[in-house]
Formats: sequence, C-alpha cells, structure tokens
Amino acid sequence: MFKLALRSLIDKKLRFALTTFVVVLGVMFVVGSFTLTDSLRSTFAGLARDIAQGADLTVRADQSFGGDFDRATVPEAVGEQVLGVEGVDRIQPELGALNVFIVDSEGNPIRPPGPPALGFNFNPGTFFITEGRQPGAPGEFAADTSTAANNGLLVGETYEISGPISAEPFELVGVFNFGSPDSHTGLGQTMAAFELDEAQRFFGMEDGYQAISVLVSTGSEVSDVQARLEAALGDDYRVITQEVDAAEQEEDFNQVVDIFNTILLVFAFIAVFVAAFIINNTFQIILGQRVREIGLWRAIGATPRQVSRSVITESAIVGVVATIIGIGLGLVLALMLRAILELIGFPLPPGPLTLRPRTVGLALLVGLGVTMISSIAPALRARKISPVAALAHDFRLDATSLRRRVIAGGTVFAVGVVALAAGMTAGLDTTPTFVLLGIGAVLAFVGINTVSPAFARPAASALGRPVKSLFGMPGRLGRDNAARNPRRTASTAGALLIGLALMGLAAVVGESVKKTFVNIIENAVEADYFIRSAETGFGPPPGFPARLADEIEALDEIESVMRIQFAFGGLSVDGEPRDIVAADMALADDHFDGQVSSGDMAAGDPLTALALHSDSAESLRVGVGDTVEATFPDNQTETLTVVAIFEDAAIYGNWLIDGALWDRHFNRNDLAFASARIADLPGAVGEAEQAALQDRSRAAIEGVLDRYPTVMVENQAEFRQTQESQLTALIRVIQVLIGLSFVIALIGIINTLSLSVFERIHEIGLLRSVGMTRKQLRRSIYWEALIVAVFGGLLGVTVGTVFGVATTLALPESFVQTVAVPWLDLVVFVLISAVAGLLAAILPAVRAGRMNILDAIAHE
Amino acid sequence: MTSSPTQALAVAAQAVAASKIYGSGDTEVRALDAIDVGFEQGRFTAIMGPSGSGKSTLMHCMAGLDSVTSGQVIIGDTDLTTLSEKDLTLLRRDNVGFVFQAYNLVPTLTAIENITLPMDLAGSKGDTAWVDEVVGATGLTDRVKHRPNELSGGQQQRVAVARALAGKPQIIFADEPTGNVDSNTAAEILGFMRSAVDQMGQTIVMVTHDPVAASYADRVVFLVDGKIVDELADPTPQGIRDHMTQLGA
Repeated sequence: MFKLALRSLIDKKLRFALTTFVVVLGVMFVVGSFTLTDSLRSTFAGLARDIAQGADLTVRADQSFGGDFDRATVPEAVGEQVLGVEGVDRIQPELGALNVFIVDSEGNPIRPPGPPALGFNFNPGTFFITEGRQPGAPGEFAADTSTAANNGLLVGETYEISGPISAEPFELVGVFNFGSPDSHTGLGQTMAAFELDEAQRFFGMEDGYQAISVLVSTGSEVSDVQARLEAALGDDYRVITQEVDAAEQEEDFNQVVDIFNTILLVFAFIAVFVAAFIINNTFQIILGQRVREIGLWRAIGATPRQVSRSVITESAIVGVVATIIGIGLGLVLALMLRAILELIGFPLPPGPLTLRPRTVGLALLVGLGVTMISSIAPALRARKISPVAALAHDFRLDATSLRRRVIAGGTVFAVGVVALAAGMTAGLDTTPTFVLLGIGAVLAFVGINTVSPAFARPAASALGRPVKSLFGMPGRLGRDNAARNPRRTASTAGALLIGLALMGLAAVVGESVKKTFVNIIENAVEADYFIRSAETGFGPPPGFPARLADEIEALDEIESVMRIQFAFGGLSVDGEPRDIVAADMALADDHFDGQVSSGDMAAGDPLTALALHSDSAESLRVGVGDTVEATFPDNQTETLTVVAIFEDAAIYGNWLIDGALWDRHFNRNDLAFASARIADLPGAVGEAEQAALQDRSRAAIEGVLDRYPTVMVENQAEFRQTQESQLTALIRVIQVLIGLSFVIALIGIINTLSLSVFERIHEIGLLRSVGMTRKQLRRSIYWEALIVAVFGGLLGVTVGTVFGVATTLALPESFVQTVAVPWLDLVVFVLISAVAGLLAAILPAVRAGRMNILDAIAHE
Repeated sequence: MTSSPTQALAVAAQAVAASKIYGSGDTEVRALDAIDVGFEQGRFTAIMGPSGSGKSTLMHCMAGLDSVTSGQVIIGDTDLTTLSEKDLTLLRRDNVGFVFQAYNLVPTLTAIENITLPMDLAGSKGDTAWVDEVVGATGLTDRVKHRPNELSGGQQQRVAVARALAGKPQIIFADEPTGNVDSNTAAEILGFMRSAVDQMGQTIVMVTHDPVAASYADRVVFLVDGKIVDELADPTPQGIRDHMTQLGA
C-alpha cells in the first residue's frame, strides 16, 4: 500500500506540489519565527555579556518593579562608601539617559527608527575609543562608531545634542566601539557619551549615579567583596556579579524578543490554520477524483483498512516532504526577516542562525500533524467506497447531508463563540486568555466553514446572476461551475474567509477605537497648542527636553503650559504595577477635559494628589477623599489622596499624579508631551485680532522650538489629524500582516480551481470542440474564480464585522466607546479578495486553455 | 458491389492525400496514409474499420479537432491546414456539428441551452425558428428545460444531435453516437439522424463499428491501416458484415 500511495503521488505531480506547498508555507512560518527569535536571543545574550563585562560587581538601588531608567539613583556618597570597602580596587559610576538625540550637521536629529537614542557617561571599561579621545571636559562628547559613520559625524566638529532637559552644542572629541575594542556591538541605538560631571548635569542627575561598577583588587575573592558590600550598604542596594548583571540584561532583551516572537507566531498560527483548510479541501477533492481507482483496488482485493491507510500514508509523505522543505525555507525566511529588520533600522550583529531541536520538533508537529489530521476525514470516507465504484459510470461519494452539516457546524460555532466570549470577559491571565480566544476563533471558523456549503450554492448563484446575464456563455458557465459543488466552493472560500474575517475584525475594532479617540479629542481638547516629539513612529513617542516648556511658558502670548510625563509600570498599588501619567494637576482640567465625574483635579496637595479613571476607582473601590498606598520604582511608598475621578482615559490614562510628585520619585526629566494655552486678550476681541494672536503665538512657540530640533508644535486640528493618522497607520500594518494569509489562500484557490478544472476535463473538451475559444474558456474560469472569491470575501467580511462589533462591545469603555464600521475598507477587502481570486485563476485557466481537445474528450 | 461517389452532388468536406503520422523512425505509425476522400452534401456517410484502422483519426482531422501531418483537409471552400487554432475553433463553432459517444452535454446547462450552446458562444441568437423546428424534430419539446441528468441516454443523444443541427453547419461528425446505448435507443438516435439528412438536407459523417448503425447511412467507407480499402453504397447490415469479413476485420 505504501508503494501505491507513493505511486499515486508521483503520478499527480502538480497536485502533490500544490498540496505540499501549502504545508511548506505553514512550516516555514513556524521555523522562521522560532529560528529568528532563537538567534536574536543568542545575539542578545552575547550583547548582555559584553555590556556586563566591564565590572566584577555592580551596585545599584533595589527595585521591585518599573523600568530600568526609573530606578532610584545611587547617591555619590554611596560611591565613597563602596571605595572604603576592603577588596574594592576601583569604582566606575554609571549614568544613562533616554532620548539623547545628536543633531547632524544638516540640523536633523539622528533618530534610530526603533531602538532608543541613549546618553551615557563615558565608561572606559565598555567604551573603546577608536578615533580621537574620550570626553574629558564640559561641552565634549563621544559617539559610537556606527552612529558616527552612518551620519557623517566628524571628530573636531560641534553638534547640537537634545537631552532630557535642554539642547546644547557639544564638540565631538572621539568615536568609540561599544562592548569590544574590535567591533561595535549595537542594535541600531545611538550612543552619546559625556564626561561624568557633564553627564550628570546634562541628564539632570546631579546628585547620583544609576549604578556603580566595582573592580575587585587582585587577590580578593569577588564573592567576599560582594558579601562585604552587601553588609555595608544594607537592603536599599543590590550588589550583583557580572553573571547576574548579564543575565538580567538578557532577560530585559528577551522580553522584547518574546513580544516579537508572539507576533510572528500569531501569523504562523494563522498560516498553519489556513493551510489546514486547504489541505483538507485538497484531499477531499482528490478522493472524489480517485473513487474509481479506489473502487478498482477494492475489487482486486484491497481491504477498506488498506485503502484508508494508503490515503493516510499519502498524506504522511506529503507532510514529511513539506516539513523538510519548510525547515529549509524557514531558515531562509529567518534570514530575510533579519534583513528586513536591518532595513527598518534594527541592525543585528551577524551570527549563525540557531535551529534548535525544539524548532524541528514543532515543524514536524505542524507539518506532519496538520497534514495527517486533515487526511483523517478523507481516509474514513475512502473506506466507504465499494468495489462497484470501479464499474459504475458516475459513482459519487455521498456528501454529508446539508442538514447534518448545519447542525454539526452550528454546534461547533456556538462552542467557539462561547469560548471567545469567555476569553474576552473572564479576565484571566494573558496566556489562558489568548489560548481561549485562539481555540474559540478556530472553532468558530471551523463551524462557519462546515455550515457554509449550505448557503454556498444560493449565494454563488445570486452573486453570479449579473455575470450570467451580462457576460454571455463564459459568464454563465463560470457562475454555474461556482454553484456546482457547494462543498468545494465553500471550502475554497473558507481559506479566504479566515484572512478577511481577521482583517475585517481589525478594521472594525480599529475604526471604533479611532472614532472613540477622535470623539474624545474633539470634546476634550481645550489647549491651543500641542508640543510633541517630531518622531512619528509606533509606540510611545520619545521624550524631549523639559526646559523648552519653561521657555514657552515665558512667552507673552502664552497663558500656561502643561507638562506631561509618562511611565509604564510607574506606580505599584496592591502589588500591581500601573502605568502613570504625570501632569500639572492645577492646569489639567483647563487643557484637556478629562470628564471629571466627581472631585476636582486642581484640589489638594500636588505631592499627595491622585486622580483616577472611574474603571480603576471602581476596581479599587475608592472614591474622592479616600487614600491609596502607592509605591514608586524607587521603592518609596506614599499615601496618596484621591482628588478626582474622571471618565476619559484618552489623555490622562487611568492614573494621574502631579509633576511635583513625579520629580520626587523619578530621575527622568524629559517630557512626553506638553500643551499650551494662549493668553486671552483683554476686553472684547474681533476675529481678525484673534487670528493675528494665533499667528503670533504660533510663531513665538516655533521660535523657541527652533532650538529644539526633535520637537514640533501642532494646533488643535493638526493634533487631531496626527493622532488619527497614526492610529490608521497602525491598523493598516496589522491588516497587511494578516493579509499575508492571502498568499496561502491564493494557493488554495489555485489548487481547488486546478482540481475542479481537472474534474471537468471532458466537459472542457466538449466545449472546445463545439467552438468555445480558448479565450472564452479562460474567461469562464476567471468568472468562476471571481464568484468563489467574492463569496469568500463577503462571508469573511461579514464574519469579521460581526466579531469586530462583538469585540468592540466587550472591550472596556475607557478604550472604546463607539462602534464604528469602516464600510469603505470592507468593500476594499472584498475587492482585494476578488483580485486574489482572479490572480489564482490565471494558472488553471491557462492550463485549461492549452489542453489538447482530443485528450480531453477521450479522458475518462 | 462497389460504386464510385456520385459526381452530381457537391462535396461538403474532403481530404486530399491526407496523412497523419505519429512518432518517427522505427516507432513511426501511419494513422492516415495519404487518404483521398470526399463527403457529399446532403448525404449520410458511415466510416467503418477495425480498431486502429484510423477511422477516428480521420474524423478528428476532418473536423478540425486534430491536424494532418501532410495533405489537405477542406470543409466547404476552406483549407483547414491553413487555419490558426482560433480560426479552427470558430470554424468548428460555425460550420461543424459534433456528436460524441458520451458526455455530449454540459451538465450545468438545460437541454435547450445545450442545443444553442455554439450560438451562445458566438454571441448570436441564431435562427430561432430553425431551432424550434430542430427541437420539434427531437420530440423533446416538453423536456427542453430539463438538465442532462434528468434525461435518458437516448434523449441526451438526441439533444446532442439537435445541438449539431441547430447551427446549420456544413457538416456533422458523429463519433460512435450509439456506442453507449441499447439497440432500441440506438434506433431512435439513428432514425433521427437519418431524418435530418432526408428532411433537412444535412450532411452527416458517422464513425461506427456497428453494421446495423452503418446501414442507416447512404454510403459506407471502409478503412484499414489508414487507407480507404473499399466502400459500399446503400448498405444493408448483412452486406456490411460480408464486407467486413472479406476485409478480415
């Protein structure tokens, strides 16, 4: 039977190739994502070791949560104390800051598109000068070799640098490699290094360091010194070895890799899922075509068991071959992704690709598993084929009755929806939630796909009606063929459905979020100007120098400036880190209407005041006047008093404190955002005067910003538009990524169409002999593909919209309040799937056209 | 018993020194070996011969479904060997009718749609009165809205003949049109073809190996090894059988 299975595959090369290709794609995605992220991990591990190598021990403030840059500083006095400990040879203070942008000679800030722009004090242990010298005085800096080379920075020239507080000119006195003397270890970040005192001043950290590197004198045991330091410094500080430091750095990096890995895996999952549909579909069709052959086997003595085993063997061969090819291509994909990452600004140090046994195991599981599981149903059906099938002229496999389909599919769908609903509302941890949502989505899709043949025929007929009446016989035949085998039409459409449903879901949720956000901004914005980083990438915008807010505030035309700062996990309440926003609470309500429902933002002592979004207030069960124990990343705990509860999270998030409280606990001085209000003119003012004031104030602000090239100003309309277009861009990126599943769906349509053309080979011969031209034949196949694709498109968009609306309703109100359906986008999606259908039809149509008429007629 | 073609009638289609050669060298097979044959207008001709004699190849080449290696094939005034693939297709659509042994009809189309298929492909209405007449002649007027799978084998073949007739082609080629049906049904189909020749003046060429079927024709042409070896006018089943025996087929 193995020989038979093998022979049957070899005989049908195209069929084999197409089936295999689909599995290959799925395996490729899985292998590619794991290989890349494993390689990234080992690269990062090396980087972390490089970073840690300069010190035997590192002393830093103890921190239980929050970002590295939000850690409390080590006071200078502690440095003296460390030096006094026995066995300590030397110490090297460490200082670092985010958002230190070097401005090139053209006046453009050098912005790494993803990685941060960093500032340091020059650390001879890890920074190795390759040209010039290390910075030793105020007004000097050194840059890393890659930033200098890529941006044409020259030693001896003076460059503007925008820091956390101010923007100032510095002379480039040297260029250095980071991590090793021979080559620069970088991930695309820019690095500017200053002399220690200068760094402290420029970063606004005059009274301390972020960490102290300790070099142990020869003859002393590192562990002894560590113990002595721990004893001397007490619980407020941690003393860690080089290995622990490297491990912690690595862990930080890996968090980023994990996010990346998750994203890639979600797409791999979609790819595999779509592939599973297509494989199953292909096996079913192939089985239908081989009924006679199998009947013949049965007639000459093959048992049903042998028949089904041969079907499964065939799929196993496909699975193994596809897995092997998929692993190979997965490695190529990893290389390509690395190249893409480099192109968009994340250059990774070259290193070998890491293909771990775990990855190979997963590839086998996916490649072989998906193929074999997909072949179970066809194998079971194959058992039922009787020997008579070999003799009967047109024996057809009994299709599962539509009634049973609707019942079974409906049940599966219902279970899926319940799982989805549970996943959305149960409030589980991230992983169980995703697992539940994943299972729910899979079941829902399988359910829909099972039911869809029940309406594939009427739908295809209805869709094809205009085609039939407008496009003559080719249109007519295309429509008939689309409606001919509802099972096939439905499962072909099913492959498209998944991608489109996800795109539709993203579109509806995205549009609703956008609409909510736009509405909020529309209503909430009170300030006249918005000052923000000129960076327009994704993720939180980089901060900008705090001093410019003072300068703008000092302008005559400006009444007030509100400074906004932000920290992920900047506050811990009930043991849980919360993202916080810091702003001038006295001004908060005047600049953005946060829809305060009780209390008053401006009331109370700025050093203890806390304003809460109603969601957070509700979950904590606190009201205005209640107190909340809050811990900051510097391990200090404060008792804060709730002064206001607001309903609108668009600007102030869920947790709002005053800038004064921020300054007490955070070393980061740069601003995330600022807003300004124009001073009212005295007395009644005409429109012309108001406009002139607008112009004047804007010009004044821009005058200030001329000295801060990383920052820009927007008025209300511009601000709204930027926010909107950023959201739109994000939604588009997600949709494009999901759209990749189209490629697989495309293969699915090619597959099905090729097979369905093959099934009709005789009919095609007849049509050609009675005078159908090749062009007409091709056209009829295009119409068929178009109708099937539009059916899949409509189904997908409908499902996506329904799921999208449901998701939107399930999301918290602080995130989305309005349900908005982007009709135009949805229409475009259907058009895209129509185009995909047409593209997929090219190969089968051309092949059908080239078919020899006599062979076709003679075909049995 | 042999008779020469009636010179008085115009020729609807003819082959001139037509050869069809497959392969080359040792494996060369001459399916048609310099055949000269003409089919007169308004006559019903049967082509007979043992398996592998080239009768189907002759028909395919004459009908523009296959090409000859050398020589000429002429339908009306047109030399098929000079036509492009597209022109051949259009010639088949407009000037040639076909009836095959089986799978003659497009399953998704109704009987009447199958009948008018070539005209629909041409994008023309055709001669509706004529179509009605042809449908009337099939005796299937009340079943024209049915799909092929709702018709009997004989009815399906009659629809196929009707399709061949509907476009008023210069010539109809039928390849074993009764090969797949019982003798009663065969008689029904052959009778219909006969009347198409007698009453509508149609020209029909039919490949068959059944002497009874061939006896419906005005003339039988015998093919052996790609050559015409004999022919018989106004044949009877017994006469045909005798000839076949003589030819050693």
